[in-house]
Amino acid sequence: MAIKRLFVANRGEIALRIVRAAQALNIETVVAVSDADRDSAAGRLADRSIVLGPPAAAKSYLDPRLIVHAAKESGCDGLHPGYGFLSERAILPRLCSDHGIAFVGPEPDVIDALGDKLKARAMAQAAGVPLVPGSECVATAADARREGDRIGYPVLLKAAAGGGGRGMVIAHNGDEAEAGFHRASAEAVAAFGDGTLFMERFVPEARHVEVQLMGDGKGRVLHFGERDCSVQRRYQKLIEEAPCAAMPDHLRAQLHQSAVDLAASVNYRNAGTAEFLFDVQRQEFYFIEVNARIQVEHPVSEMISGFDLVQEQIRIAGGAGLSVVQQDVKLSGHAIECRINAEDTKRDFLPSPGRITRWEPPEGEGIRLDSHMSAGTMIPPFYDSMVGKLIVHGKDRADAISRMADAIDGFAIEGVPTTLDLHRAIITHPDFVENHIHTRWLEQVLLPDYGKKAA
Amino acid sequence: MTTEKDIAVQAIDDARALLGALLASDWQELHVVSGETEIFIARSGGGINPMREASPPVGEEPSPQLPVTGPETPETVVTAPHVATLVDLAEVGAMVNVGQKVATLRVLDEVQDAVAPVAGRIVRHYVRPGALIEYGKRLLSIGNAA
Repeated sequence: MAIKRLFVANRGEIALRIVRAAQALNIETVVAVSDADRDSAAGRLADRSIVLGPPAAAKSYLDPRLIVHAAKESGCDGLHPGYGFLSERAILPRLCSDHGIAFVGPEPDVIDALGDKLKARAMAQAAGVPLVPGSECVATAADARREGDRIGYPVLLKAAAGGGGRGMVIAHNGDEAEAGFHRASAEAVAAFGDGTLFMERFVPEARHVEVQLMGDGKGRVLHFGERDCSVQRRYQKLIEEAPCAAMPDHLRAQLHQSAVDLAASVNYRNAGTAEFLFDVQRQEFYFIEVNARIQVEHPVSEMISGFDLVQEQIRIAGGAGLSVVQQDVKLSGHAIECRINAEDTKRDFLPSPGRITRWEPPEGEGIRLDSHMSAGTMIPPFYDSMVGKLIVHGKDRADAISRMADAIDGFAIEGVPTTLDLHRAIITHPDFVENHIHTRWLEQVLLPDYGKKAA
Repeated sequence: MTTEKDIAVQAIDDARALLGALLASDWQELHVVSGETEIFIARSGGGINPMREASPPVGEEPSPQLPVTGPETPETVVTAPHVATLVDLAEVGAMVNVGQKVATLRVLDEVQDAVAPVAGRIVRHYVRPGALIEYGKRLLSIGNAA
């Protein structure tokens, strides 16, 4: 049954994005807001907004009972969770199902299974998806050497009971593996009372690649190409690209197939992303996890496919099948997205809420801005600091970089400090232009220099 | 891949952001309650630290509506602590004590009480039972006992 009125259980740019997608499908919208978001752009554009609770997310956007109650009592028959907040908490689709509301996302049992790292790895293994080569439990230093030789160096010795980097040692050869075993095991005993270790291959300069998926819940899954999200700071993505230009075509085809096989094996429904580590030196990729939601960086996949993923999400949740077949998904050109945050890069990326006094975004061919901001908008201090996503599309990567540089130059934001200047520094950096980057590149190469220049 | 250290760093970042927000504004004080965390920041000579006082009764969340004070009979407005469906309200004219139930709210299949923050007589209703009420919506007012 097609959705007639959609409840938007999120805020910021994604709430606005969902309202627009629903309106394009002639679906009414009700937007949930907290007291801090009473005047939000999404709320103004929607047919109705409902104030859930006070600004604290725990008492508004993170309370599934308030959200489902508001959705049900406002006559909504569908609910879109966006990303973050409750989007990957199975309780939300369970409550929706109990109250006759179609959830725009996967089945709750699938969300639960994918949210459990061990279960997700087992599912990947069963579907024939490559995992980081590793060992079972390692009991002695001699075992560590033997396993290290088998896996290939460098390897990471990790505490089985561990976390937070404790009981973790990198070994580059057999001698280091033996010495590392003693050290990591002693650390693990001290930290966790359990010296059991396991080993896995360490990829020093890895890329983060991910495949955009869309499933019908009956075993049919399409991919919309891959994204390269290697520009990160503290595991937070700053820039995303599609496609991954550093990946050769034969490997790309294997990557897509692995992701589709994994999702099809669990009859995945709606949008999801399979994340992988790409070892450029070895030309291998390894499964990390599946994100069971629409992601922040979905626009770059939309730009190269010409496909509206959020509209497709809403249609599928309403009972329609996939609207296209894989052969219809034609990928062309190159897209780049910069996540612009209200953060002070000179003060260790301090979130800087406040009022936007000037907001003049760039316009032009191949430029897209997903944002809920305008001049006069107040950024509340309670939530994340993203003010918008600047996305460009070009005929190839060089063209997209050039277009992004122009777009950043043409973007005027005043009132709060933003990461716009940092984005300019990244996309004009020779390493980025020549595509010699990895997930630690920003922190190891660019930021130390950037800090000096900025000071 | 979030570690305890990341969470601690995030918490410090958040606290600094709040301080920044206060300094950048003309606010005198800032009080944020989020999950298990509560933080109160005030300018020099600012207000009383609410964290040093007893927790308010359920149903008396901070709300955008300040108590309405009339010249003759001061009134206190009770507002909705969150979105809910209103089940019933105490009768106009009824006398209530502090902490006594004045309204029943329903969220999905659960009901909860909203209680009187002050003692007095119910003066008026602002909504009817059955309505979906949003956070901060006025429910009723209580004429303060002298």
